[in-house]
Amino acid sequence: MEEIRKKVEQLLLKTQKPARYIGGEHGSVVKDKSKVDVRFAFCFPDVYDVGMSHLGMKILYGLKNAVPNYWCERVFMPEKDFEALMRENNIPLYALESLDPIKDFDFIGFTLQYELSFTNVLEMLDLAGLPVYARDRKGLTPIVVGGGPCVCNPEPIAAFFDLFILGEGEEVNLELMRLYEKMKPSAPTKEEFLREAAKIEGIYVPQFYDIAYNEDGTVASITPNVPEAKPKIRKRVIADFDHTYYPDTFVVPFTGIVHDRVVVEVLRGCIRGCRFCQAGFIYRPFREKDISTIASETKTLCEQTGYEEVSLSSLSTSDHTKITELLTTLSDYTDKENINLSLPSLRIDTMSKEIVDRIAAVRKSGLTFAPEAGTQRLRDVINKNLTEDEILRTCRLAFAEGYQTVKLYFMLGLPDETDEDVEGIAELAQKVVELYYQTPKEQRGKSVQVSVSCATFVPKPFTPFEFEPQATPEQIKHKQGHLLDCIGSKKIKISYHQQNVSVLEGVLARGDRRLAEAIYCAWRKGCTLDSWDEHFRFDLWQEAFAECGTDTAFYANRRRSYEEITPWSHLDYLVSHEFFVRENKKAHEAKTTRNCAEGCSGCGIKKECGGVYCG
Amino acid sequence: MAEMLQPKNQNLRLTKYEYRLVFSKEGRARYISHLDLLRTFQRVFKRAGIPLWYTQGFNPHAYMMFPLALSLGTDSRVEILDIALTEKLPFDEVRDRVNREMPEGMSIISAGEPVMKHTEIAFAEYEIRFCMTGMTGSETEESFLRFGEQEKIEVEKRTKKRGINLVDIRPHINILGTDRCEGLAVISLRLPAGTEFNLNTNVVIEAFESFCGSKVDLIYTKRTKILTKDLENFI
Repeated sequence: MEEIRKKVEQLLLKTQKPARYIGGEHGSVVKDKSKVDVRFAFCFPDVYDVGMSHLGMKILYGLKNAVPNYWCERVFMPEKDFEALMRENNIPLYALESLDPIKDFDFIGFTLQYELSFTNVLEMLDLAGLPVYARDRKGLTPIVVGGGPCVCNPEPIAAFFDLFILGEGEEVNLELMRLYEKMKPSAPTKEEFLREAAKIEGIYVPQFYDIAYNEDGTVASITPNVPEAKPKIRKRVIADFDHTYYPDTFVVPFTGIVHDRVVVEVLRGCIRGCRFCQAGFIYRPFREKDISTIASETKTLCEQTGYEEVSLSSLSTSDHTKITELLTTLSDYTDKENINLSLPSLRIDTMSKEIVDRIAAVRKSGLTFAPEAGTQRLRDVINKNLTEDEILRTCRLAFAEGYQTVKLYFMLGLPDETDEDVEGIAELAQKVVELYYQTPKEQRGKSVQVSVSCATFVPKPFTPFEFEPQATPEQIKHKQGHLLDCIGSKKIKISYHQQNVSVLEGVLARGDRRLAEAIYCAWRKGCTLDSWDEHFRFDLWQEAFAECGTDTAFYANRRRSYEEITPWSHLDYLVSHEFFVRENKKAHEAKTTRNCAEGCSGCGIKKECGGVYCG
Repeated sequence: MAEMLQPKNQNLRLTKYEYRLVFSKEGRARYISHLDLLRTFQRVFKRAGIPLWYTQGFNPHAYMMFPLALSLGTDSRVEILDIALTEKLPFDEVRDRVNREMPEGMSIISAGEPVMKHTEIAFAEYEIRFCMTGMTGSETEESFLRFGEQEKIEVEKRTKKRGINLVDIRPHINILGTDRCEGLAVISLRLPAGTEFNLNTNVVIEAFESFCGSKVDLIYTKRTKILTKDLENFI
């Protein structure tokens, strides 16, 4: 450690935001190595500013460190300037608490939040001084594990991992570490350990499955090759969500990060069932925390961190069954302490005016809506239950209060989308602008700005749209052009996501094991930090796909039959295949499905998982 | 009872009690930038439950003032932070409560009443332990002494109005002593500091780099004193 520390200290003066690379923050956990039996390097495969904002890491960091003889440390992807300095000076990737090289740890865990972080995993393993392919890491340790939402189809990166953890990590992480602690004294081989690990529910060891392919390139079969490997691996769910572990302090960074505040998770899962949304299905069922739990976690965390802002985290905060009472309780506390309460993902239509006023008193930012599609028909296709009336009613109120900006989020390339749906986006934006001018001059603000942001739809596994072809770049280009032609007002600003990023995301999201070579090849060519526009090199990715003979259209732009064996069909996220098929059929008929609060639609989640509306 | 009459909103509490804190910033904490330091202290005070006084403007914020910024990467045990509280707390209590919440490498060394004005700061002293690439500690030391014997040391200075021009910094560099320790040269310097004219150690070291045509290999900089124009300690 001393040697790394000395080298790093000299380099920090030559890098941007050096506080990201040296640790020492309030709340970081430093333990006496001689009293630690299992060391876990928790890697977030993106830069510090992003990774430090991630709630899952905060939870698992606290959870593991609460065990006296386990030590979990944080590791992030260095920016390109510091990465170059590390390589020049032979500094291996180290953990921020001990500054020890992570190659000597028992576990190296990656959280896989988005497909575009895959090359960062390879980069970090390589920076650590480890072979990137799991088959080349012969010893027992470090055991390289992966978790997070992308694990619902980890096949493209399966070759780089020893095992994956499916679903929620609070229980299974400790089960895995306990197994290791128990087996470690007998010095097992890696295979012996992995075979035992495969018996734990939620643990998927990719090397224990053989994949066969059909002549047309689709998967023919997925077959376990050891007795311990189950034919289907089920994701883990915390049934008693209200009583599950939640940290009582966070690591408080010195340098600014993306979400620099206390975050309290109020509910998990989503009742809505929007058909494009992977999070809405893989985090099912809908569970929530008690108001008293949320209030006490808020108070403890504010006191322990010294933050003056708290944010509630969930997929849709206003779906909490006691939302008004919750906000009243919390704002009583935050008002008293001069703490700012921020509420992302809030549906204004469900709340009383009193609460809206109370929250709005803090900061009059802008209004944001995510209609996702331009016409009611297409919103029915995707099961997004937000009507034009609701949007316009809220905008009318907001303009009368002096609001001046409205953001509207849409997707282009949704299944069954026509030019008429694209025109609908422009029409809706225009209606919002007109609403501003209809507001009496003495009430409304000085001017109005309607920002329309259009993402490209990427079909994801474990959604009713997993069968759908992704729109081709040409189709998207046509839609974007058409939309621009339809915009008449200077008050409307249109922005797009970078198209090539969506292409890559689409290939990786529904890819299979044969993509590992292309990912390796792209990384070798220098692709890392792909989610950053300034670093994204689509030309190199295209070269890599060409060299590896990858047909990207096969993965992204092909319609899959309901019967096709998908690369992820041995993974069980508890929502049934039959439900996805049913939902897909209804989508093509533009028929909506009620949300869980209105009544069960039989998605397949069992009552035992603790869902508020299940059973 | 007196406390109950205080307005709940701290912004409306007008009485303020001023404190001058002397703090250390060393080790891992030396990489906290000046901007981040402000944020770090805000959170430390919040955790420690120190009742900071808020400014009374349109955008109320906790009053905190660092009269002399410290360069990133420089250690110090003489840094100054002025704060104001809405309640009078004993100096030792403020120090101890804050110290319980400080991150690694930072602590309050003393708390007291401000005596001097910020404008009285005129100099700072530094101890620089370093060696140049391809040179031993004693070679670095000898070379630095020769560097100091020059009549003029001109450096480029960028100004908004006149672009880049040359400034002679030689008259401002006061070499207090040199030594060697564990293979490094140890240089003690006194440089002008404060609002009127400030000379950063980095500027001196960069000038030295071009003088000896070599880059710094290893360097540890420490601020040892903050002084008035009469060379009294700033208190």
